[in-house]
Amino acid sequence: MQDMNLTGLFIDLMGRLGLNYEFLATGYEAQIWRDGFITTLYLVAVTIPVSLIVGLIFAACLTSGRLWLSAPVRGFVELTRNTPTLVQLMFSFLVLNTVVSNMLGGAQNNPLSPFFWVVAVVGLHVAALHAEAIRGGIEAVPSSMIEAARGMGFSQFEILRYVQIPLAFRASLPAIVNGLISLVKSTTVGNAIAVSEITYASIMVWTQRDNVVELMIVLLAFFSLINFVVARVGSWVERRLAIPGYGL
Amino acid sequence: MSMAVTPKTTSTSSRVLRYIGFVAMPLIVIVWSLIDLSLGRELVEWIPYLASGFSMNILITICAVTLGTTAGVTLGLMQLAPFWFVRLPAQIYVQIFRNAPALVLIFATTYIFPFEIVLFGNYLPFPDWVKAVIGLAILSSAYIAEITRGAVLSIPTTQWEATKGLGFSRLQALRYVILPQCVRRSLPPWMNVASSMAMGTSLASLVGVHELMHAATDASTAVRRLDFTIIAYVVVMAAFFTLCYPIARLTRRLEQRFNAG
Repeated sequence: MQDMNLTGLFIDLMGRLGLNYEFLATGYEAQIWRDGFITTLYLVAVTIPVSLIVGLIFAACLTSGRLWLSAPVRGFVELTRNTPTLVQLMFSFLVLNTVVSNMLGGAQNNPLSPFFWVVAVVGLHVAALHAEAIRGGIEAVPSSMIEAARGMGFSQFEILRYVQIPLAFRASLPAIVNGLISLVKSTTVGNAIAVSEITYASIMVWTQRDNVVELMIVLLAFFSLINFVVARVGSWVERRLAIPGYGL
Repeated sequence: MSMAVTPKTTSTSSRVLRYIGFVAMPLIVIVWSLIDLSLGRELVEWIPYLASGFSMNILITICAVTLGTTAGVTLGLMQLAPFWFVRLPAQIYVQIFRNAPALVLIFATTYIFPFEIVLFGNYLPFPDWVKAVIGLAILSSAYIAEITRGAVLSIPTTQWEATKGLGFSRLQALRYVILPQCVRRSLPPWMNVASSMAMGTSLASLVGVHELMHAATDASTAVRRLDFTIIAYVVVMAAFFTLCYPIARLTRRLEQRFNAG
């Protein structure tokens, strides 16, 4: 009851400013819109770990020094960085998804949802950005340190795991945070294949209500807020991990 | 000793790979359409249609980057102005639009602006692609404002003091001493923005602009063959890739040269 009154008060106040938020008082459209926010947050929360893990694997392949590992990853990174995310998404959804459906004998057997494809495409796209950042960090680790580790009997993998990645991660953290901010923005392409994230939900509302400006204000504020939180968490991690005296 | 040799051999082989990168995508399309001639014939029929779509992408990119650069440089310099009433609006603008997804801005400009403008009693059409240009220009202006601000701030303050000693006004110092150096410094990040705007133009297909993505979707629904759909989207990727990959390579080279000297 208290909640309803607050919503009513908000609609009334905004109405006086000339902004039409009346749909919030209706059950159905407000529900779609709320779900849109939740879907976007969920999408971001799932895609961030995917991009970080895959980015780390890509970076390990790129710096492995083995051509059969680094060349395919290098090719993928260049392809995904230099083609639009939307085209990759449509290609995956229209082509790969159809191929999977055909292999499984019909679309009804296909367990892969549009949501999955958005996570996969955006996750891999941002993973390519992370991979470049981490690779730069790995290559910046002084060779004397690697030689010292080798002298102490570390294997190639152990050097990567205990020496290169911890230092490279710290050095590349600002670039990784930038990648995550572009990840947040990229999740909006999901609306091309009808994932009901916030822009899709907003289109549903404004085609009925013709209140584009009002919804745009909220959308811009929402994305600014998410990116602000991501940037804040990033700088917090950066401070927590800082090694005194190492200069990172 | 072996340490010194290993990176060199990988760099030569990766250099070869990078040159393959320039031609790999178009090569896949050509080889595939030669293997399956019926597919190739279909594709050749649709190439002019796809090309007309891609020319729209290039047009939107050029307009958006030109507009965005003009606005962005102005905003970036405004952010450094000594008066708060000049500085503050620019800072707010940049903070809001730098964090906005390109798609949201394209939707905003498409749905907020009218479909025609009345100018002295004449009805002028306001086409969707111009709205997409404005949407992308807003985004790129926010990025370019930050690049400009960063570039000006990266010039050592001693240079400002030296110009003051030589009797330059603030604007004269900016015009004759600071900005010429900034141009060189901000070129690589500016090219990154230009290339990401070029890729952003594909989003205009979602608001009904006839560009490459849209053309490919049209073509694949008209032909209704899975292999044609695949090759149509490979052509789309090849087009964007052959546009953006050379820019990315050039950017990296400029960055390296700048870091070295």
